[in-house]
Amino acid sequence: MIQALKRYKWPYLFIMPFFLLFLIFQLIPNIFTVVISLTKWNAIAKPQYVGLKNYQLLFCDQMFWDATWNTFIYWLISGIIIIVLALFIGSLLTSKQLKIKKIYSTITFLPNVCAVISMAIIFKLFFDTNEGLFNSILVSVGIPKQEWITGASLSKIPVIFLYSWRNIPWYTMIIVSGLLNISPDFYEAAHVDGANTVQQFFKITLPSLSNVLFFCFITLTSDAWKIFNESYMLKGPSTSNISLFQYMYDSGFTIFKMGYASAIGVVLTVILLVVSIVQFIIRKRQGEV
Amino acid sequence: MKKSQRLLSMLISTALILTVAACNSKKDDTDKSEQQAEQKAEDNKGAEAAPAVEVEKTLFPKGTMTIYGYGNPQYLQYYYDDFLERHRDIAPEVEIKIVQAKNAQDAREKISMTYLSGALKDLPTCTYIDPVGLKDLANGDMILDMTDFLTPLLPKMVEGATVDGMVDGKMYGLPESVRPQLLFYNKSIFDEYGIDPSQMTTIEKWIEVGRELKEKSGGKTYLSYIDPGKNAWRYYGRRGLMPQANGRIWDDEGKVVMGTDPGTKKAMETLDTLMKEDLLFKSTIFEPPLYDACRKHQVATFYIGAFWDEFLRKNVPEMAGEWRVMNAPVFEKEQQGGAPVTGYFVILNNPDDPYTELAKMLWEDFTFNTEQRTKWVKRVDSENGPYANPISLEMLDDAFWKEPSDYYGGQSFRTAEAQGLQNPSKNLPVTAQDAEADVIISAELEAYVAGNQTMEEALQNMQKNLEGKIGQSEVK
Repeated sequence: MIQALKRYKWPYLFIMPFFLLFLIFQLIPNIFTVVISLTKWNAIAKPQYVGLKNYQLLFCDQMFWDATWNTFIYWLISGIIIIVLALFIGSLLTSKQLKIKKIYSTITFLPNVCAVISMAIIFKLFFDTNEGLFNSILVSVGIPKQEWITGASLSKIPVIFLYSWRNIPWYTMIIVSGLLNISPDFYEAAHVDGANTVQQFFKITLPSLSNVLFFCFITLTSDAWKIFNESYMLKGPSTSNISLFQYMYDSGFTIFKMGYASAIGVVLTVILLVVSIVQFIIRKRQGEV
Repeated sequence: MKKSQRLLSMLISTALILTVAACNSKKDDTDKSEQQAEQKAEDNKGAEAAPAVEVEKTLFPKGTMTIYGYGNPQYLQYYYDDFLERHRDIAPEVEIKIVQAKNAQDAREKISMTYLSGALKDLPTCTYIDPVGLKDLANGDMILDMTDFLTPLLPKMVEGATVDGMVDGKMYGLPESVRPQLLFYNKSIFDEYGIDPSQMTTIEKWIEVGRELKEKSGGKTYLSYIDPGKNAWRYYGRRGLMPQANGRIWDDEGKVVMGTDPGTKKAMETLDTLMKEDLLFKSTIFEPPLYDACRKHQVATFYIGAFWDEFLRKNVPEMAGEWRVMNAPVFEKEQQGGAPVTGYFVILNNPDDPYTELAKMLWEDFTFNTEQRTKWVKRVDSENGPYANPISLEMLDDAFWKEPSDYYGGQSFRTAEAQGLQNPSKNLPVTAQDAEADVIISAELEAYVAGNQTMEEALQNMQKNLEGKIGQSEVK
């Protein structure tokens, strides 16, 4: 190892900044989080070692299970919506029939550059029970008003709506870059062989995009499990739409149970690791990795 | 290749040398500022020994005194700037900067995190805070004990102003305001339906009025509102019905009694009656739809703290003349008014801060300088900004605090606020566990308001979850 270090000292020197930053801002805080999760600490007094008590409390805490379930729903539903719509919009944007593509591309990307807090405030007004746009539309077609944010049963919908709306453009951009890499020769050959658009999509586009879609799914997974802004701003009653990340924040910075919040952080990390490993195993079985 | 490697090595070495040199220079600066701080501490020691007049002559160094505030602290900036202009002889080059925190928890979080990081120079000189945050900061020795400073001033202030700002018998909080629970009502709605608002002296009669309003308006007008989020517990529970009904979360030993206490049951059953009879308009407080509902005469009264005055004036200024205010209704049996809410100003325990004394002077001036306070209130009032009644007894006696308010159709809001402090109920005791208890209780109450459980189930769940997650509170 020392020999390798000596031999490749310049390459190692050049990649050192990344590892230093990783060590200082990722690895050490992560280890610190695990240590803190074994203590009772209010960020003011000295931490008291409590062993695994925070984890015991966590697994008996209904709020934690509600938050985990909500986050799972956000990941699953938003993941499907985002990937499907991004694929659809990406296909439209790369379609030969579409004119003035640059304008459409810019418009498509706009939601991603809007400040999430501002958009959440606007969405809050849209989904308001008494004065909201969506309920006005429902009432105009004879459907009674719905409690989108103020009711427990529908409060996840505005969160999924806003999260998907904001993220579709980003994933569309990634998918468009993948679509542009597919050789037009494949489509021409398929066309000559008599394949229709749907067949071309399923037989050429999707298989060619599998690596891109896998990348999208991995990044979307880690992103969706860390959803915070949307559920924080569009908070519904009780724990009806709270996310795991938000619950961690509330535990840490609203009631100052740093040990408990750290335990939630550790569990969240484990969940993300497990989900990612499962995805990699599936890909490996498919012979793609 | 070797030449370029040498060049690169030289560049890296130079960068390292420069960095070390810069660090050393910073260290020198730090050393200098430490020496200055020590010198200042020595000077202050001398000043403490000298008479108060000498302290007044201390020259405060050039710089910025930072204050954390929440709500609408920008209006206080008028007062602070004016204060500095009046004290240019001792603070010729000092500025006061208010940093907006989201709420008291946010201010507490920012301060404790800065303390933990050791970056004392980034701490504010003082902050506005609530009793829960004050208790935490005092236990962490992060704020200064103001007992000696406040004791001689106590006879000049309204009774009980410092009570919630005390920890272990020491006074840490400089009281900023003491505001009562009130009942705001829309007189034009009552005129329209021919209902006498003066009968709403008790909660039982207030509910009766709600039924009458609902019936006469054909279901359009609600007695009041309910927030579907955490503010339902804050304004109807902790600050409203609970103290008025002698409700309790903890018993005297700190054990959870939320699900069994008769006072708590009475408070929650009252809310249940209001909800079951559909007397409350469900809408998030402080949001535009609630103000729209006010304009459309859908909400007739607000059973809430005096702070609601500034929100009405600011958000529905066109309703000037329609609203009136009276004491919060009382329970027929308990006969006690709403619990007052006290806001505190605390000074941070930072030996390096040169403006600690200036902060005390600022608070004292704001609290007891009748002329300047009146001038400031007039300016803020003209902008529909927020201000609270003073806690100085002398100031309260001034005719200005009895003047009629145009917004309330000639009724004096300031007098009504002062009257609201009579016959107060005792606030729920604040323990170190109350912030968490509020989250647990609120979650169950929100589920109740959303229609996901009955009030009985909500109370049972509160009891169970409080016992499971907190167990016992540290009631002192």
